[in-house]
Amino acid sequence: MAKWRLALVSACVLACSGPVAGSRSSSASAADELRGAIDAEIRQVWSREKIALPAPADDSTFLRRVSLDLTGIIPTADEAKAFLDDADPHKRAKLIDRLLASPRYAIHQADVWDLVFFGRNPPGEDSNKREGFDRWLQQAFEQNLPYDALARAMLKAEGNSAEQGAPLYLLQYDRHPEDAAVAVSATFLGVQLQCARCHDHPYEPWKQNDFYGLAAFFARLVRVKAGQADKLDKVFVAEMNTGEVKFTGKASEAKAGKEGVPVKPKFLAGAVLEEPDLAAEFKDEKRPKEGEPPRPPKFSRKDKLAEWITTDNRLFARAAVNRVWSQYLGRGLVHPVDNMSESNPPSHPALLDRLASEFVSHHYDLKWLIRELVSSDTYQLTMAGATTEAQPRWFQRARVRPLSAEELLESWRRAAGYDAWAAASGKKIEGGRFHGVTWDYVRNFFGEPNNGVGDFQGGLQEQLYLDNGELNRLMVQDKGSFLESLTKADEPLDARIERLFLATLSRRPSTEERSRFAEQLTVKDPQKLPEAVREAVWTLLTCSEFRFNH
Amino acid sequence: MNARCIPLEHLSRRALLKGSLAAAGGGTVLNLGDLFSSAARAEAVRQQQKRCILIWLNGGASQFETFDMKVGRPTGGPFREISTNVAGTRICELMPCMAQQMDKITVIRSMRTSQIDHPQGIHLMHTGYAQAANVRFPELGAVIAKYCGTPGAALPNFIKISSNGDAGSGFLGPQYQPFALGHDGSLPPFARGSLPPEQEARRNALRSFLEDQYAIREQAETSKMHREAYASARRLQSALDTFKIDEQWKKYGERYGDSGFGRNCLLARQLVEAGVPFVEVGHSGYDTHADNFTGHKGLVPPMDQAWAALLTDLHERGLLASTLVVWMGEIGRTPQINNRAGRDHYVRAWSTALAGCGLKGGLVYGETDVDGKDVKSNQVTEGDFFATIYRALGIDPKTEHLAGSRPIPIAPFGSKVVDELLA
Repeated sequence: MAKWRLALVSACVLACSGPVAGSRSSSASAADELRGAIDAEIRQVWSREKIALPAPADDSTFLRRVSLDLTGIIPTADEAKAFLDDADPHKRAKLIDRLLASPRYAIHQADVWDLVFFGRNPPGEDSNKREGFDRWLQQAFEQNLPYDALARAMLKAEGNSAEQGAPLYLLQYDRHPEDAAVAVSATFLGVQLQCARCHDHPYEPWKQNDFYGLAAFFARLVRVKAGQADKLDKVFVAEMNTGEVKFTGKASEAKAGKEGVPVKPKFLAGAVLEEPDLAAEFKDEKRPKEGEPPRPPKFSRKDKLAEWITTDNRLFARAAVNRVWSQYLGRGLVHPVDNMSESNPPSHPALLDRLASEFVSHHYDLKWLIRELVSSDTYQLTMAGATTEAQPRWFQRARVRPLSAEELLESWRRAAGYDAWAAASGKKIEGGRFHGVTWDYVRNFFGEPNNGVGDFQGGLQEQLYLDNGELNRLMVQDKGSFLESLTKADEPLDARIERLFLATLSRRPSTEERSRFAEQLTVKDPQKLPEAVREAVWTLLTCSEFRFNH
Repeated sequence: MNARCIPLEHLSRRALLKGSLAAAGGGTVLNLGDLFSSAARAEAVRQQQKRCILIWLNGGASQFETFDMKVGRPTGGPFREISTNVAGTRICELMPCMAQQMDKITVIRSMRTSQIDHPQGIHLMHTGYAQAANVRFPELGAVIAKYCGTPGAALPNFIKISSNGDAGSGFLGPQYQPFALGHDGSLPPFARGSLPPEQEARRNALRSFLEDQYAIREQAETSKMHREAYASARRLQSALDTFKIDEQWKKYGERYGDSGFGRNCLLARQLVEAGVPFVEVGHSGYDTHADNFTGHKGLVPPMDQAWAALLTDLHERGLLASTLVVWMGEIGRTPQINNRAGRDHYVRAWSTALAGCGLKGGLVYGETDVDGKDVKSNQVTEGDFFATIYRALGIDPKTEHLAGSRPIPIAPFGSKVVDELLA
């Protein structure tokens, strides 16, 4: 196991602000790297809060955690065994490098960010066919497109939703500029503006004018469909030369039929956009023609906003690092991540500043940021401890998060030996990436397992699916399958049990587990062995340890 | 697309946050989800054992062919009025059974709601809110499951039979997700286990062993919830017989009438009697843009019989005093009769009804003008309607939950309880 700095430092060292010289698993000097700064800031707060030093995660916990976080799937039994038996003191850093270079990195990042930008139930008539967008997103992560460029592409929305992909984001809010303002400010700036829709925000600086000023940037956008590519509609975001958002005053004083005054586009907490005046005789075309890619406007408000959001914008960089931090450490330094405001200060203000400034100086390099986060001792902490919160406020224990629907299905398939069996059988697999069981069920039952403020909530439906659902289909027992191999007496029972645990939980079983599972798999009637094996595999696929990333 | 929030509540939340953070030196973590609904309050509601059955008329039943007749007017249609067991209250001849139950119900003739199309109306009348891009509102059933349900009960707390609406538990989370039965009251997929009992017991013992081992190492709430959901799924297996009504049907079938809707109403009664706090029973086909009168002639009588039987049955069992029966669809229908003898969508003035659970019986609240085109007095909005339902069930309509960082009351801000309906 890697030598651990955290476990070695004494309490008095904790009081110092600087990073402790030590033998971290990576070769570079910790002090210069962001990871060192992260650990120093986190430790300082532990000291302030009188939190005892937590232990690091053991190798198997780390392996499963980082594999799921970086590639969205558990390791295979062979990968787990190789990692656990590897004596290299730098094996964790090497694993991180390998996972970040894996093709699954981009696939998983695309899943994660698709949920950020769309959620499970997005508005908009185009939103349910996101293949073009997801392809673009995946390519962006394959090329490690800087985050500012990624955001700019979505906000500028050039090209169409099928071939370029990125325009699909704004199309969600077609004809709803106010909704676009709420979503864009929350997602890219970490600012909750929806209160200011109806009244000046009571204790944040946001006025109704800020809200409608932001909405005005989206007021001229029009959805235009022109042809098809790859069986997907090519939908464009056109921008008219005229059209305003009208402001009618406080919602509580609203009167039906009141016309309202046009609001000029205004950058959030900033200046009013300077726009060239249109010639007096100018008449805008009625509406861009369907079936033709739209012409760009004489002056694009949307492009100005995209530039303003993504260029030297303090809010933008802070919102980004805070969100990415939460993806790996469980909760944002500001939590919830899209509510960065005076009344909701960061738990570690200096750390947030440092993350944001280094993210900018590293040209919004997401892969670099993620590598720093998962290389930190903070990320690599144990999940054990007395705190019952899933996402401990002071990061004194690893967070516990449910696997996403995508992670669950692909991990079940791998763990049950279904993928290996399917590959060996040479059969053509129908149903795309989420084959094997009914993806709609998995997405519906496991897609949003939280209570509205991000905390896990187990539901009856999810559990009924686990108990009586389609896992049996994945637990194939044909000749040559993983489950069948567990019934074969030519391998000692204990070795089979070890393989079973490595395949499902990426760790070796404890002494108690070895004997309990030996009891389960020792049946008088050999005819009953396959069913005993199936029960054993089922318990491992459905237990808490499998359900969560910890 | 209403995004509403409340300055006062923002302030109180902020003060709370500040106060507790200061007091605990930043060490406290608030469970914001429960901030406005203290456990004590929920417990108090729970102890009242109140229940709710929603009769959902999908497509939007006509008020003119049910409770708000305009006989002799151009908007009136061909049916006659009949007298009821409440002096002076007259309803449509298609509802002879309910005519004898009018003393048990309160009709609201002055509904005015905001969403005129089906999907939007279905969302509105299931949640009290118009759909919004960024918030997933919970349905009435999910809220009632949360506040009136019994944690640890074998039966689900929110059951839908042959019903509509897909908002589900929204931001309240999967714990309050509806358990949706088929049109014939059949169980949803995966509800019933298929393993022989000894195998189920064996795998359960093994899984429990794993969970116990794991719980020693990791003590996060999440795993506890996962284990609890597993336990609830196993408990359900022991209660699945509650979903069978064949025996009861032999006895009560005649009373409820020989219809699928009648069977589903009987099932709803059986479930409520077994302690389920919320059951929705759907009846579809009311979107009568053409042949409104033939349509209602076919739809209303079986519904009338089943609804009346349900009220009688609940009353005889002493359950009506604690069970609220809500009768509504997503919209009303137009006063104008179109050229296909149909009525279109209308939300300016329409009717709903409530019964039981401490509501006044024998009351008609609000009135429409002579042609049923507009509300003449005592207008009731969707928010007022939901607030009244929640109040009748002992739930404070101002109770808030957080959707992300945004506090949202269960009945929209500004809604008023219609006190006149409450006894």
